[in-house]
Amino acid sequence: MAVAISSPVPEGLYPLLTILFLTVGLVLTASFFIYEITTSSLSRSFPREILTGGASSIFLGLGALFLLLSTGVYV
Amino acid sequence: MAASSLCLIGCLALWILTGAALAEDLVVAKLDRRVDLTSQVARTLVSFKIENSGSDPATKFLFALSKDQFDHLAYISAASVSVKGKSRTQSAPLTVKEVEKKEDPSSDAVYFEISLEKSLEQGQAATIDVQYALTHTLTPFPREIRQSETQLVLYHDSAYVLSPYLVKFQTTFFKLPGSRVESYTKVEPTKLGDKEIKYGPYENVSPLSQAPVTLQFENNRPFAVVETLEQEIEISHWGNVYATENYHLKHTGARLKGGFSRLDYQAKGNGVSAFRYLAAILPPRAHSIYYRDEIGNISTSHVRNEPKRTIVEFEPRYPLFGGWQVKFTLGYSVPLQDFVFLAPDGSRYLNFTFGSPLVDVVVEKITTKVVLPEGSRDPSVEAPLALDEQHQEVKHSYLDTVGRKVVVLTKKNVVAEHNVPFQVKYKFNPLAMLAEPLMLIFGFFCFFLACMAYLHFDFPISKSSAAYQARLQQEEVLDLLQRFQKLMKRRLFEAEKLEAALRDLARTGDVAPCKASKKLVDATLSKEVKAIHEALQATSRSSSVNSKVEALITKEKEKHERLLQKLNLTVDLYERKMSSKEIDSRLAPHEQKYTHLKSEVAELMDSLDD
Repeated sequence: MAVAISSPVPEGLYPLLTILFLTVGLVLTASFFIYEITTSSLSRSFPREILTGGASSIFLGLGALFLLLSTGVYV
Repeated sequence: MAASSLCLIGCLALWILTGAALAEDLVVAKLDRRVDLTSQVARTLVSFKIENSGSDPATKFLFALSKDQFDHLAYISAASVSVKGKSRTQSAPLTVKEVEKKEDPSSDAVYFEISLEKSLEQGQAATIDVQYALTHTLTPFPREIRQSETQLVLYHDSAYVLSPYLVKFQTTFFKLPGSRVESYTKVEPTKLGDKEIKYGPYENVSPLSQAPVTLQFENNRPFAVVETLEQEIEISHWGNVYATENYHLKHTGARLKGGFSRLDYQAKGNGVSAFRYLAAILPPRAHSIYYRDEIGNISTSHVRNEPKRTIVEFEPRYPLFGGWQVKFTLGYSVPLQDFVFLAPDGSRYLNFTFGSPLVDVVVEKITTKVVLPEGSRDPSVEAPLALDEQHQEVKHSYLDTVGRKVVVLTKKNVVAEHNVPFQVKYKFNPLAMLAEPLMLIFGFFCFFLACMAYLHFDFPISKSSAAYQARLQQEEVLDLLQRFQKLMKRRLFEAEKLEAALRDLARTGDVAPCKASKKLVDATLSKEVKAIHEALQATSRSSSVNSKVEALITKEKEKHERLLQKLNLTVDLYERKMSSKEIDSRLAPHEQKYTHLKSEVAELMDSLDD
C-alpha cells in the first residue's frame, strides 16, 4: 500500500503561520533599527545587533516562504 | 541440370520451411471483425476463434496488418476471451509483440506475435480479441467543401481480414456515424444497413488474401487533431502539482473554401463539420484552472466538479472549420497527496495519467515534462506504453539554485487508449526542502548586514571640516549622557530596593536584610558617577547640558544622604523596639523631605532627555 506524501506543515495553517512569522519578524526589524538609530555609534554592542538581525531575518525568511505558499505560489 | 535441380530443391525446402513457419498449423475457424468509423479514429475489434489442427502445441498466434494500416497504427492490444455458451468474458490481456518476418517482399503484411495464455494442444480451440486503432485513415473527400456542404470521408480497407492462416468463416461490419453512404465497393455478399455495412460471410479464404474496399460516407464528427502538445507537470513538495498544457489544435477535415459567413453559421447553422465545443476531463479536486492564449484569458469556459473527475468545457475564440487552427494553454493544479506517493523502498513516485485530458482528440506529438523538485536524484520512468523518446533536462524555477531535474517523454500518434497511468520514480531527502527557507533567511540577513555596515562605517569627505568635528562631539556627548542615565537608573533602582527593605521592616520587624542592602548601595556607584562627570566636563562645551548634569548629581546625592539617614534611624528605632506609632512620628519629617527630593530628581532626569 503506497503512502501518500503531503506537506510537512499542514496546508490549512499556511495563512496563520504567514501572519505570525511576518509580524514577529517586522517587530524584530523595528527593534533592530530603533537600536541602531538611538544609540551612539561608540557604545553599540555588536553581538546584540547580530542577534536581533539574525532573529528577525529568520522570522522574515520563514514568513516570506509561507506568504508565497499561502498565495498559491508553491515554491 | 544438377545445379538447377539443386536450386529447385533448395527453393522448395525454403518455401516449405517458411510456409511451415508461417502456418504453424493453426487455423482460424471463425472471425468476427467490427470496425467503428463513427469518430475520426478508426477503431477495430477482431475476434478470432483459432483451432490447432496440427500435432505440435501452439504458443503463439500471428496477427497481420497491411503496411498502410501499420503506418497509421496508434494502438494495439489483445486479450484472451473465455466463451461459455452465449456469454463472453474477457480475461487477461496478452502481450503483443511486433515481429520481423523474412518472407517475400511482395506481401505487404506486418506481423504481430501474440503470446497465448496457455499453449494450445492438438484439436483445442481458443478465442482471442484484438483491438487496434488507426489514425488519419478517414481522409476527407472532397478535400475542400463550402460552408453549406457536409463532410464526406474515404476509408480504405479489405473485405478479407489479412491473416497468415486459413480463415474458414469471416464477417466484417463497418459501423458508420450516419446513414448517408456515398459509395462502397461491393464484394459479394455485401449488405448495406441503416448505419452499417456488412461484408460477408466469406468462407475458406486462403492465407494472406485481400479484397480492397473503399467506403465513402458522411462523417461530421469533429476532426480535432492536436498537432503538438507540450505538457509540463511540476511537483512541489509543499503540497501542489501544477500541470500546464500548451495545445496547437487543428481541424483536419475537409478544408473550407469560399469564405466564412458568420450570418450563415449562426442563423442557418451552416458548417455542420465545424466544431466549437471542447471538453477536458481533469482529475478530481483540480483547482486554479486557467484557460488562456497569447492574447490573454479566454472566458468561454465552464468547470463542473464531480466526485471522481472535474469537467472543463471550453470553446476557442472562434469555431474551427476545416484547415483552421488555434493555439491555447490550459493549466490546473491538483493536491500533492493525490499523485505523489512513497514507495516501500523509500523513494517517491508520481502517478499521473499519460496523454491529453481532452476528449476525443488525436495528438500527433506529445511532449510530457515532469519537473521534479530541487534536490531530487535518480529519476526513472515506468510507463506501460512504448515511448518514442526519453531524456532529461534542467529547469530553473522559483527559489532555485542549481535547477530542477526534468524528465522529458515524447510520443507520436496518441489516442484516448493511451490515457493510462505512468510512474516517475525519484529519490528525495526531506531535508532538501529546507533549502528554500534557508535561502530566504540568508537573503534577509544580508540585508541586515548591509544596514549594519552602512551605519557603522564612516566615510566623510573631509575629516577636519567643522561640521564633521561638531558631529563627532555630539556623538560623544550623547554617548556619555546615555551612560550617565544608565547609572542614575541603577542608583534609583538600588534606592527603591532600600525602600522596599524598609517597608518589609515595617511589616515584619526584620533588621538583617536592611543592613545587607545598605551595604550594597554604598558600593562604588559613586566612583562611576564621578568618572562620567569628569569626562563630560572634559569633552563638552555645551553648558546647558553640563549644568543640568551637575544639578542632577547634587540632588541625587542629597536624596541618597536622606535615604541613608532614614534607614539608620529606622533600624535604630526597631532595635530599640519602640512602638510603631512613635516610629512613624519620628520618621515623618524625613519621609517628606525624601519624597520631595525624589520628585526633583525625576524631573531633572526627564529634562536631560532633550
